[in-house]
Amino acid sequence: MSEAAYVQSLNLVVGGLLLTAVLMLWWRELRAIVRLLVAQGVLLAGLAGILAIQEGDSQLYGVAAGVLLLKGIALPAVLRRVLRDGREATESEPLVNAASSLLAAAFLILFAYAVSRPLVALAPSPATRALPVGLSMVFLGFFLMISRRRAVSQVVGFLLMDNGIAATAFLAAAGVPLIVELGVSLDLFLIVLVLQVLTARMRLKFGGTDLDDLRQLRDS
Amino acid sequence: MTVIAAGLLIVALAAAAGALGGACAPARIRALLAGLLTALSGAGGITAGVAALSGQSWSMRLPHLLPLGSAELSVDPLSGAFLVIIGAVAVAAGVYSVGYTAPGGSHPTDDIEPAHETVPDAGGAASRTCQATLPLFVASMLLVPAAASVTTLLLTWELMALSSLVLVLADHRSRGSVRDAALWYAGMTHAGLAAILVGLVLFAGGTGGESFVSLREGADTLSPGLRSAVFVLTFLGFGSKAGMVPLHVWLPRAHAESPSHVSALMSAAMVNLGVYGVVRVAFDLLGGGPRWWGVLVLAFGCLSATYGVLQATVATDLKRLLGYSTSENVGLMLIGIGAAGIFAADGNRPLAGLLLAAAVLHAANHAAFKALLFLGAGSVLRATGLRDLDRLGGLAARMPATTAMFGFAALAAAALPPGNGFVSEWLLLQGLIHSLTLGGTPSVIVAVSMPLAVAVVALTAGLGAAAFVKAFAVGFLARPRSDAAASASEGPWPMRAAMASMLLVCLTLGLAPALAGAPLTRILAMLPTVRDGAPLAGSGVTLHLAGIAGSMSPLLIAAGLLGVAAVVVALVRSVGARRPRRVALVWGCGGTRLDPRMEYTATSFAEPLMRVFDDVLRPEHDVTVTPYAESRYLVESVQFRQRVPDRVEARIYPPLLAAAAWWGDRSRAVANGSVHRYLAYGFFGFVAVLIVVGFTA
Repeated sequence: MSEAAYVQSLNLVVGGLLLTAVLMLWWRELRAIVRLLVAQGVLLAGLAGILAIQEGDSQLYGVAAGVLLLKGIALPAVLRRVLRDGREATESEPLVNAASSLLAAAFLILFAYAVSRPLVALAPSPATRALPVGLSMVFLGFFLMISRRRAVSQVVGFLLMDNGIAATAFLAAAGVPLIVELGVSLDLFLIVLVLQVLTARMRLKFGGTDLDDLRQLRDS
Repeated sequence: MTVIAAGLLIVALAAAAGALGGACAPARIRALLAGLLTALSGAGGITAGVAALSGQSWSMRLPHLLPLGSAELSVDPLSGAFLVIIGAVAVAAGVYSVGYTAPGGSHPTDDIEPAHETVPDAGGAASRTCQATLPLFVASMLLVPAAASVTTLLLTWELMALSSLVLVLADHRSRGSVRDAALWYAGMTHAGLAAILVGLVLFAGGTGGESFVSLREGADTLSPGLRSAVFVLTFLGFGSKAGMVPLHVWLPRAHAESPSHVSALMSAAMVNLGVYGVVRVAFDLLGGGPRWWGVLVLAFGCLSATYGVLQATVATDLKRLLGYSTSENVGLMLIGIGAAGIFAADGNRPLAGLLLAAAVLHAANHAAFKALLFLGAGSVLRATGLRDLDRLGGLAARMPATTAMFGFAALAAAALPPGNGFVSEWLLLQGLIHSLTLGGTPSVIVAVSMPLAVAVVALTAGLGAAAFVKAFAVGFLARPRSDAAASASEGPWPMRAAMASMLLVCLTLGLAPALAGAPLTRILAMLPTVRDGAPLAGSGVTLHLAGIAGSMSPLLIAAGLLGVAAVVVALVRSVGARRPRRVALVWGCGGTRLDPRMEYTATSFAEPLMRVFDDVLRPEHDVTVTPYAESRYLVESVQFRQRVPDRVEARIYPPLLAAAAWWGDRSRAVANGSVHRYLAYGFFGFVAVLIVVGFTA
């Protein structure tokens, strides 16, 4: 792949990642958000693939395939199952409304660019210049978890954060060793499964998955 | 491979095997496996320590063992002394535990009425957890003096604290007071660890390296304020582990509630590591300091010695009494270290060397007799289920071997010849007394503090004698005061064998202290401010003090005492043989026959002392008079209860605990149960860190 094609495709993929992240904050339809998650997983696998072609690293192909399987297929499938079982198709009343969320997202992305300047300055390259996108995804995922009530939204926020961390790792260090990636993926899969069970139990107990029903679970 | 490395390898391998055996072996051989491997681990420590004391040294660096820094081990004569002390106690405790945890003993299950609630089982100390933890505890204690970097020291220190905490909790199912004791112990030991951690981190930060070698090299470049901060923090941290008053609150509780071989290990071995830490940091790593450091240590030493011995004289719980006596003896060691610090700062090396040698020797002596005392108390506890002296008595006829050995150890603890405690207290007194006559006009601090210290040591010796006369006479002599004491019998033979080995150590140290001369000289030679010739010299018989005109011969004193005793016995026999023997009832004061209830109890024996020190101790009395229903002028029963609360604890700790509780209550408002709020805390924390890192880089 020529240098120009590499930079172009890298920027396209990274832009796609940021776009899907922002859309997740905007939309309320949970099914649509899960579709965004699929798209993000595919884009992340694409990012790994582009880097694999550029670096000529055979291990990275494996990582790309793994990312595609886990984040593009397996995890969204789990979430779809949760949605099919429940009646809550939309995030009904978020703590922060869509307009304010988008403003906050703009601010957070600016902030990510600001704080990652020293990192970019360490080794300027097309990949590291895209680094703030990874950081922005982490911020947006965190913000999503803070501002949404439904358990599924929490899982989505968590997955967005993890995608952000993965993207940062790809961009900063051209991927992590396969064994680390495998370990992290396994953890992630288990966490999502646990959250799925938790969601099901909540629905059984409270008839809904509003996290604010859990307020009594504390030291008093 | 050097002898030291081989010894430490044995320590590690035996402890690992012991832990594995204690955890996995079937119950029948578990005690045997864990106990004997603990003893083997201790033997490895003795081997390494003796080699170090005879002049070898050894160090090792394992670069990638710890995540933050490399693990460094090094053994020098100072470590060697403590390796030998801990190793010897561990050998005895390991062998003892085989018998102590065997089925058939009585263990108290309830605080209030232990006599009626004894269950004949092996107690919590026989559990899988405790058997597996015992070798780990011994190994971690043995690695503390061998640690040669800040990370290694803190890691082994924390391992030691955690494993001992597990062992303190052995009987948590049967007695609520165990949980209380463990909580105090955990709190105090972690507060101490925090102080040591901060102190050593400041030290390492100032010198730019965390291995002891670089700390030694960089110590002179630190500012005086930083040096003093390091010293005070580490002194308080190590002092809390050593049971120094007012940081001693955990000690009588934990020592009383843990299984007896663990009490012996904690009191005779672990507490000494606090003393080791003070000497290591103040004299070796920091290389000595200003005079007020010594005055501070001396003051805390005097306080610990006086308060510890006072509480010991009025205690009625045998193991609590021994615990307070530990505080007292640590106080004596600190007096020696503090005075040595003062003289080292004044440049009076012979005196500083003598006092420091006395402190280290007292650590060894205290370890020997206190281990024996705790093992003896454990035998009593196992046979009767009792720790309360007021219910014991009459054990001399039922447990003769234990009585004899406990008696000798009590003699040593009371600092009377031919016990080994006498030798080191004599050395300490010699050093303190000669401080005013040696080296011209003394400074004001020396002129004021030394006579005070002498007075404290003298008072301690006197009250200590009263405390141990009480423990021995009330606990073992006369007639039994309870059914449990009346039905006591000796435990399994490993317990007696372990006690006999400690008795042998006591006798050796007491009769031939000159053996310790050369090793003590090697220890002093390491320390820059006290480095000077031999503090004690002598053939095996007479002990000469270098620098001052003092000499003593423990062996001749013992022989003389033995001779006088033989003459007195012979005289009494010859006089008694001439008169005809008449068998009659002893006069019972006009009442019926003599009753065990007429005997002196521990409470009544200590009553005069309690009156004298009433203002200090403030005992709480509780007298309930119950009259007959028919007439309130006729008394049916009188109930008398006395409690001596720890005043230091009652005055200092409640405000601190209340402040901590208030802080906890306040922080509850921050945690209202909303998941979103908790997530937001994390988010804003994360952003704040990024702002600091991103905009300052």
